Amino acid sequence: MNKTVELKNLYIKAGDNTLVNKASLMIEEGEIFGLVGESGSGKTLTAKAIINLLPKGLTYSADEIITAGKNILTASNKEKKEHIGKNIGYIPQNTVFYLHPMLKIKNQIADGYIYHMHKTKKEALEKAEALLSKVGFKSPKTVLNYYPWQLSGGMRQRCNIAMALMNDPKLIIADEPTTALDTTVQRQVMELFKAINEEMKLSILLISHDLGLVKHYSHSLGVMYAGQIVESGYTKTVFSRPKHPYTQLLIKIIPSLEIRKNEPLTEIPGFVKDKGRDSNGCLFYNRCPEAMDICEVKVKEHMDDNEDHYYRCNLE
Amino acid sequence: MLSYILDRLKSSIVVLFVVSIITFFVLMIIPGNPAQLILGTDATPEAIAELHAAMGLDRPLYQQYLSWLLELFKLDMGKSYVYGESVTVLIARSIPVTFSISIFAMVMAVFVAFLFGMLSAIKKNSITDYFSRSIMQLGAAIPSFWIGMVLIVYFGVKYKILPVSGFIPIEQSFTGFMRSIFLPSLVLAIGEVGTLLRIVRSSMLNSLKQDYMDMAKVKGLNAGKIYIKYALRGALTAPLTIIGMQLAKLAGGTVVVETIFALPGLGRLVLTAVEHRDIVLLQGLVMFITSIVVIITLIVDIFVMFLNPRIKSFHQGE
Amino acid sequence: MRKNISLILGIIFVFIITAVWVLSFVYMPYNPNEMNISNRFLKPDFDSKHIFGTDNFGRDILSRIMYGSRNVLLVALVSVSLGTLIGILLGALAAMLKGLAETIIMRIMDGLMAFPGILLAMMLVAVLERGIQGSIAAISIFMVPIFSRLVYSMILDTENLLYIKAAKSYGSSKGQIFFRHYIPAMLPRLITQFSSSIGSAVMIETSLSFLGLGIQPPFASWGLMLSESRQFFLLHPYLAVAPGIAIIITVLGFNLMGDGLNDILINRGSNDE
Repeated sequence: MNKTVELKNLYIKAGDNTLVNKASLMIEEGEIFGLVGESGSGKTLTAKAIINLLPKGLTYSADEIITAGKNILTASNKEKKEHIGKNIGYIPQNTVFYLHPMLKIKNQIADGYIYHMHKTKKEALEKAEALLSKVGFKSPKTVLNYYPWQLSGGMRQRCNIAMALMNDPKLIIADEPTTALDTTVQRQVMELFKAINEEMKLSILLISHDLGLVKHYSHSLGVMYAGQIVESGYTKTVFSRPKHPYTQLLIKIIPSLEIRKNEPLTEIPGFVKDKGRDSNGCLFYNRCPEAMDICEVKVKEHMDDNEDHYYRCNLE
Repeated sequence: MLSYILDRLKSSIVVLFVVSIITFFVLMIIPGNPAQLILGTDATPEAIAELHAAMGLDRPLYQQYLSWLLELFKLDMGKSYVYGESVTVLIARSIPVTFSISIFAMVMAVFVAFLFGMLSAIKKNSITDYFSRSIMQLGAAIPSFWIGMVLIVYFGVKYKILPVSGFIPIEQSFTGFMRSIFLPSLVLAIGEVGTLLRIVRSSMLNSLKQDYMDMAKVKGLNAGKIYIKYALRGALTAPLTIIGMQLAKLAGGTVVVETIFALPGLGRLVLTAVEHRDIVLLQGLVMFITSIVVIITLIVDIFVMFLNPRIKSFHQGE
Repeated sequence: MRKNISLILGIIFVFIITAVWVLSFVYMPYNPNEMNISNRFLKPDFDSKHIFGTDNFGRDILSRIMYGSRNVLLVALVSVSLGTLIGILLGALAAMLKGLAETIIMRIMDGLMAFPGILLAMMLVAVLERGIQGSIAAISIFMVPIFSRLVYSMILDTENLLYIKAAKSYGSSKGQIFFRHYIPAMLPRLITQFSSSIGSAVMIETSLSFLGLGIQPPFASWGLMLSESRQFFLLHPYLAVAPGIAIIITVLGFNLMGDGLNDILINRGSNDE
């Protein structure tokens, strides 16, 4: 199958401090890939490295970052910008500040489309209208004339989704797209993602701290811990046969399957390491119930070729 | 929205009322008898007493204040004893000079401040940024009378490119007008550009940090769109407010610059009134100038409100 | 941490000016008021006895700059201190008493703020005697609304903080709360504002003197020196160099120091403002 994203051995550093250590993931065409982890585990940074949006002061390196058929690493800055703008849609977590508060929706939803696809403003607004009604607005014309703050959180997120879809992208990166929304709206938005995925055959990288949501909506998933992807594979496989103790604990201890945001997992003693993430050992070592001495210095990576099931642990 | 405008209008009127009280009563305690000042030292005490009564100066202060206020509404600000002319006429004659140099100065200051403020924010800690920050500091520290004198020597005397004094009305000759206001405006602009540049830079830096900038970058738009449509649009409120305040300040009289370049503007009138303790003229000028300041500030506030839709909705009680 | 260039430069400039000021009481090359017609308009010359030259009366410019620094700094320091004290008092009264006192005080401050630039100072000079006292009074009143508004808004911002509420619930008096809690909390901003205000005070003083409304001859002030040099300046431009540089260094010094202090006390290392 074709891959929409191939990310190999991504490192992200702030000066000498490693934030993301050797993260690799692969997203197949037309699938929803869930990336789960506690806050600070590096999932947003990983996504931002893919769209070239790392905050100033952070540097990254990788063996390969291929998105929608283009190697981002070897591309020039301009090519990178063009390619990402054209082929990747980004849906941020916080809906309030990602839309410009002083511009009407119609003045910001379509400018990427006009620029990359060389369309007139009129054509662009027609397309925007169509997409707005696709994401569930009854009267898209009115919405176009609103300022972002005149819309509710759920409505703003729909606008973001419509905006991300303008260029018919190959990939959508949705970073905690439902956190700021209330439960019923959350469901509607997620169903919308599912529908878009099925209908438009585009891939979605869904970043979430909500294991339940990822279990329900994703085809594949990756579990991130302290800047590493500790386990990844098809969602069904990972949930039926979790290999990494961290994944096992997550599935076992959290009844709601939701990792609370910004709160340490008290059910697992200890804290997520935010220093020394460049260690060759297992970063979960200090909290792992099954830790062995060797785990502190060395960790084994497993790759099950048949099922694409990957995990890094010294247990077999 | 309307309630916001009414609110601002109300507080503007209160400010003007307070100003009128301060102005009237502060200037009333000026030592010396205005009648004496007008008639000179050789006047007989009888003549002075007669004029004193004729000017209404023997009435209680509050009565004098009220009648002064009433006359103000009729745009009658009395007669200057130095010039022997109506204050209203004197002011009307000086307005074109002061307004021309103020507006032209602000045009220059706005251009430089936005250009360098934006570049400096986009490339923070670059050479441009250090240059801009030097302009910021030097602009505020160089006295206008000093830079004025320097410019006069270089442009006016050494190279004889520009006139160094006097004002040519625009209807007489446009080039003459521009030449006569260029140096004074430049001096004023140098004085204002630092403050404005600082505000543009910090507003831009703040706007560049906002999440919507991430979105604009992900969309892969070109730099012009990213920095002007998104960043600058989010950074306009504070600079516009400051521009309004600066324009108001300049329009209210540019005493020092008008003195150096011998321009017959409002500032010259103020200086003459102060030097000769021409109370009637000074009262009129102060009221006129503060009204200008309050009105310009009010207009800018309303303009900023239209620009910044959230204030609008806030006052609609969204 | 990034080196705080503003603060370092500011301190250097302020130090230079302060040194000149202090030195003027101990040593000046010449009597600043001693006229010597045969020595008129001597150009600045490091080999001769007049480093900055002499003016139209043959007075030594360096000595007059040193002598003038006394008046400039005296006026600036006293007027800003007075303005600060009165401003803090009025701002605190308005914010803590509320009600009628708040309305009256703050409306008067609004009114004072409506006077643009040095108009207020000029108006006050018209009423008062010209000279040092007149300048001090005028500049103090100019400073009052700036500080009272600052204090007023800072108290309103902090009055609902938990520790202030706690102090109130313990039954601390308004005075106690003001001195124990508000003053320490406001100190960084007040210090910063004080430093920059000295810069503006120097600017106003020199402007008033330049216009002939400030310090009167034969006393020296840098603004007055520039004003006196105006009629000879086209032939002898050097006359304007020394007073101009003195003003620039002083204003720049206090402004930079204010900015630098702002960086370390309030913004903590960011140079965004």
